[in-house]
Amino acid sequence: MTKHTLVKIKALTKIFDVSKPFLNRLIEREKKQFLRAVDDVSINIVEGETFALVGESGSGKSTVAKMVVGLLEPSKGEILIDGIDLNDKNKPDELYKIRSQIQMIFQDPFASLNPRWRVEKIIAEPIVSYKLEKTTKAISARVGELLSLVGLDPSDGRKFPHEFSGGQRQRICIARALASKPKFIVCDEPTSALDVSVQAQILNLMSDLQDEFGLTFLFISHDLSVVRHMANRIGVLYLGRLVEVSNSKLLFDNPKHPYTRMLLDAIPDLEMSGKARNAIEGEIPNPINPPSGCTFHPRCPFANKRCYSEIPMPIKRNGAIVTCHGIEEGRIDYLK
Amino acid sequence: MSEKILDVKNLSVEIPTRHGILKPVDGLSFSIKKGEILGVVGESGAGKSMAGNAVIGLLDRPAHVCGGEIWLNGRRIDNLSQEQYRKVRGKEIGMVFQDPLTSLNPLLPIGEQLTETILEHLDVSKKEALDRAVAILEEVSIPAASMRIGSYPHQFSGGMRQRVVIALALAVEPSLIIADEPTTALDVSVQAQIISVLKKLCAERGTAIMLITHDMGVIAESADRMAVMYSGQIAEIGKTRDLIKNPKHPYSIGLMGSIPAIKGDVNRLVQIPGSMPRLSDIPKGCSFHPRCNKVFEPCYTKRASLSKVGNSKVACWLYENSKGANE
Repeated sequence: MTKHTLVKIKALTKIFDVSKPFLNRLIEREKKQFLRAVDDVSINIVEGETFALVGESGSGKSTVAKMVVGLLEPSKGEILIDGIDLNDKNKPDELYKIRSQIQMIFQDPFASLNPRWRVEKIIAEPIVSYKLEKTTKAISARVGELLSLVGLDPSDGRKFPHEFSGGQRQRICIARALASKPKFIVCDEPTSALDVSVQAQILNLMSDLQDEFGLTFLFISHDLSVVRHMANRIGVLYLGRLVEVSNSKLLFDNPKHPYTRMLLDAIPDLEMSGKARNAIEGEIPNPINPPSGCTFHPRCPFANKRCYSEIPMPIKRNGAIVTCHGIEEGRIDYLK
Repeated sequence: MSEKILDVKNLSVEIPTRHGILKPVDGLSFSIKKGEILGVVGESGAGKSMAGNAVIGLLDRPAHVCGGEIWLNGRRIDNLSQEQYRKVRGKEIGMVFQDPLTSLNPLLPIGEQLTETILEHLDVSKKEALDRAVAILEEVSIPAASMRIGSYPHQFSGGMRQRVVIALALAVEPSLIIADEPTTALDVSVQAQIISVLKKLCAERGTAIMLITHDMGVIAESADRMAVMYSGQIAEIGKTRDLIKNPKHPYSIGLMGSIPAIKGDVNRLVQIPGSMPRLSDIPKGCSFHPRCNKVFEPCYTKRASLSKVGNSKVACWLYENSKGANE
């Protein structure tokens, strides 16, 4: 039985206008400048799974996340959640309903909680705004329930965010995300501001909650070991394009795209097997003037003429979707 | 022993506040040999950076060193005057901070910042200083160094900037570099580049490096020895390999287990309950006892001292009785 596809992202593109002000452009005779932060990204996320997006800074991970929750409007493409287009303005009622099904957990638990609100008010906000509970008593009971769900004490609701440590704050953020009983939670680097031992607590909590409520996660991270631990399927982003999508085990056992291989090679070796780490040459290019053809070609050891000029199309190989000329032509041996 | 570059004995730092005296570093002892990288790990609030800043004499008031000794190249430095300390900094100890953007002056070209440091500490002409600056930039693998010497920090990318900061720390060939989270603000791919630069320097010049980080992967890859810190004290210190493969202190065991592994499928991570205690209420006895799963009587009242267990040194009552039996 095929599972229900909860989130469908089709050819998503986001272009930011990063031009100088009009008068400066006029005087300095410069053209308008555009930044393609996300370019033609298509993802399907099945209900109950964790889909992870990885990539270096500047690869467009967070932009995808913001578009998926509706904080940014896509320039092109569409996002369907449970079959409802998130940017279809003609059906406000359906949109209102589907919005409560999507929640987000942000990276920085210090910036994402209002410092002047008590925790109970922060967590109650989605409940009040979607009118999920009617009476004050019912609301505070629900808040208490949510707090104990994430491992805090119901009496902690009277406190202010500054009275909590980083890990506890992230728990509050999770409680707030769960308040509207969502199906789909977007987690944008939820643990990168935390220490490893606290990170372990939060990751365990997130998997427990996923099992309990059948949640679907879009998990964004630059930490490959965290992604390996959490995700069922992984998409690798490079300069706004998906270069490889594959299930988690396959991606780590048999990476195909040269960029994925480089990323995996760059992971510090905790096993201490004595294997030397291959540092990736160069850095991610400026997205305002991305390289022509395949955007990875300046750093790619396998690049040839075709890579300089032609943008590769996604192809299926051995259970993974890869965007690479070399693999399509069979130049790169992808079966290790 | 002349081999020891840095020798810290029983170092303590205190911060007097209205509510009493806080001790972010409490009785810390370690040493670093020539050409060795000592990794210092611990969670935030463990006192890693405080220890680093104390060694280089950059503690912000009202924090101050209240006990212990710091020896650098056989000379005691913790009792030097501000002026004398300033000469030691830069010349004998270099520092690399976490954020490369804030540790460079945005208004000066990098060449000027490098030559300023060189002229301050060495008796050379301006021309020689400039040549030297270019040579150092080349050494940290900045391409076309002589062209880029006039560039401003904002014209470099994050990884490049961190290389410039390393070059700045190296400018006058110090015998010790304190690197405080040098790769935390960088991507994994760039992180690998920076680590290899640090390792190369260590091997070629015999510079001793104190590498402060919370990233176990970075330590595993670069450090010869490592120290695990918990609330201002060393919980365990030893060869990196021993510590990672076979941690002894319950805190080190928890810390290692909480790292998600790339290989193998683990469904649940080992988690240490609770979090690092606040400085204002460090528990009595062993400061880890409220979070420890192997706690027993002596832990509540007295702190264990660092003693040899196998190849490492561990501060834990669990091993106190087996001391000697293991050796």
